[in-house]
Amino acid sequence: MSNGKVTLLEAVNLALHRAMREDENVIVLGEDVGVNGGVFRATLGLRDSFGFKRVIDSPLAETMIGGLAVGMAAQGLKPVVEIQFMGFIYATMEHLVSHASRMRNRTRGRLTCPMVLRSPMGAGIRAPEHHSESTEALFAHIPGLRVVIPSSPARAYGLLLAAIDDPDPVIFLEPTRLYRMNPQPLLDDGKRLPLDSCFTLREGSDITLISWGASVMETLQAATALAEQGISAEVIDVASIKPLDLDTMEASVRKTGRCVIVHEAPRSCGVGAEIAASLYERVFLQLQAPIQRVTAPDIPPPLYRLESLYMPGVEDILHACDTVLRHA
Amino acid sequence: MKYFKLPDLGEGLQEAEIVRWHVKVGDTVKADQLLVSVETAKALVDIPAPYDGVVAKTFGGEGDILHVGEPLLGYEGEADAGTVVGRLEGGGTNQEDAFFIGTAPSTREYLANRATPAVRQLARQLGVELSALVGSGQDGQITRSDVENAAQTERERFGGEKLRGVRRSMALNMARSHAEVVPVTIFGDADLHRLGQAREPLIRLAKAMAAACAVEPVLNSGFDGKTLSLKQHERLDLGIAVDTPDGLFVPVLRDVGNRTSADLKEGVMRLRADVQARSIPPKEMMGATLTLSNFGTLFGRYANPVVVPPQVAILAAGAIRDEPVAVEGAVAVHPILPLSLTFDHRVVTGGEAARFFKALVDALEQPDA
Repeated sequence: MSNGKVTLLEAVNLALHRAMREDENVIVLGEDVGVNGGVFRATLGLRDSFGFKRVIDSPLAETMIGGLAVGMAAQGLKPVVEIQFMGFIYATMEHLVSHASRMRNRTRGRLTCPMVLRSPMGAGIRAPEHHSESTEALFAHIPGLRVVIPSSPARAYGLLLAAIDDPDPVIFLEPTRLYRMNPQPLLDDGKRLPLDSCFTLREGSDITLISWGASVMETLQAATALAEQGISAEVIDVASIKPLDLDTMEASVRKTGRCVIVHEAPRSCGVGAEIAASLYERVFLQLQAPIQRVTAPDIPPPLYRLESLYMPGVEDILHACDTVLRHA
Repeated sequence: MKYFKLPDLGEGLQEAEIVRWHVKVGDTVKADQLLVSVETAKALVDIPAPYDGVVAKTFGGEGDILHVGEPLLGYEGEADAGTVVGRLEGGGTNQEDAFFIGTAPSTREYLANRATPAVRQLARQLGVELSALVGSGQDGQITRSDVENAAQTERERFGGEKLRGVRRSMALNMARSHAEVVPVTIFGDADLHRLGQAREPLIRLAKAMAAACAVEPVLNSGFDGKTLSLKQHERLDLGIAVDTPDGLFVPVLRDVGNRTSADLKEGVMRLRADVQARSIPPKEMMGATLTLSNFGTLFGRYANPVVVPPQVAILAAGAIRDEPVAVEGAVAVHPILPLSLTFDHRVVTGGEAARFFKALVDALEQPDA
């Protein structure tokens, strides 16, 4: 935390410290989260502050971690699980889909499942296979799961605290590429941010750029490049992937009449498709041009030499904007 | 990469143009070494390096305009790994994280009011703000009758008569001009004792304006504030403000500089007659490059006349009065014409306006030919 500025990683760490201080039911568990402080050090210091009973180093067994969390949550604890990389999250799916997501429904509201599952997501850190996935759409598809992706230290802090408060399961995905990028001033004041709201990062009038996660960086850079051409772009960080704050996106596209959606996940059945379809339902008559998507191709994230080709770049976004703006 | 942003250069200047880079990508620079020369609206400024490092990127080429706070130069920076797997890029404070929770202020009016395109167009025509309406349709949709009712009540609340025609366009044009132009007015007098027919100076004024335009042509130009473009007119097409019971008309006297006084006089009389009879074709009232208001024939001395874009100046002539003036140490009584020149200071400098004014008064004070 140099110069009073905080990275996204440190913001997560601050939020975890605060949540554990505020509520003794908050439990952190996962691989290496205790002694080691987590693979990225997101849980650094928690074990020293709160002890090994509340900060639990689990075996290398994600299926078990998922099951443990569901059981703890259903019986009144508030587990905050860390899965080391998104590629390892699938082993928890059985518990997330078949139990966590439907605990409230199954018990007709008698039990809820107030767990948070944290995981780094996305490419761009030159990692090996299984470490660079962006499969948020899988979870967004499951009724009963919230999916939240912060893209700045402030949003990581405020949204993680809100996710821990929430009585239902939240998949909290942290863009690995942003962990140490672009530190920002942050007040550790415990303020929550709304879990079901977009964030408008830049106000504009000519085109709406919608993104989330690490791609928000490139999207903001594209907006800056557009501004140099005299084009005023509004940039929206979706942040809450499920449920989607479609009202905010709808209003913005009503205003601008043009929209480009940017995400790092593969294109087919990505969340961009859901947003585009919903916008077409709501604002078709105000659109000046077809909505465009800028996404990764439908392939597994490649090894790092090709990584920058895989992730949507500023040029790709500007190209899509050209397509949208070309319709007079 | 660590970014060095264009620093605040003081005096409230928000942008600077790059004149010359003194370093290139790959150079090793020392703190305080000269990086780049930029030109602001006020001065040429040399910007030194804030600290030692290797230049990874320069932003903008010579002639490009950068704004305060935008990245100017990137230093090579070693990424701080500190992780077990992969490599995390560190640093980089180029993007400030400021956000609105939910919708941006300018978007908020679009949140609630759902209305079909036809209803939106109607609202625009009637000048009704959709954001102020509560829709009565399905899911709060704003209907045609909601808009019509709102238009009705807005008018009824104030009462009065809706402006039409010339008065409506005066209201719109004057408000637009007031919002856009940066007016400065200079006052001065012309001593008309050498003139035979001092009481009818209109044609003299027109000819004098043409003479003054030859001295300072910029007063006879058109300016587009949106694109900041200036168009120099070759000839003087003079708009002459004419008062009528219906309102203000400004017919145009073409090519004033190259016509004889007799010809101009005839032209003015014809325009006046056409205006009074309301038979003047619209194209006769378009394309003035400069305007003259001769309000003094009614009453008054000085004024703050309003420049109407794209014109950049207007001259107002007050009532001629006999006044005591000092002539070689003695008091004499001369006919004095009070004049007011308003110019758009976005385009015209005070010096240009003053020289124009001087040339104008000199031309007026010449004896009749």
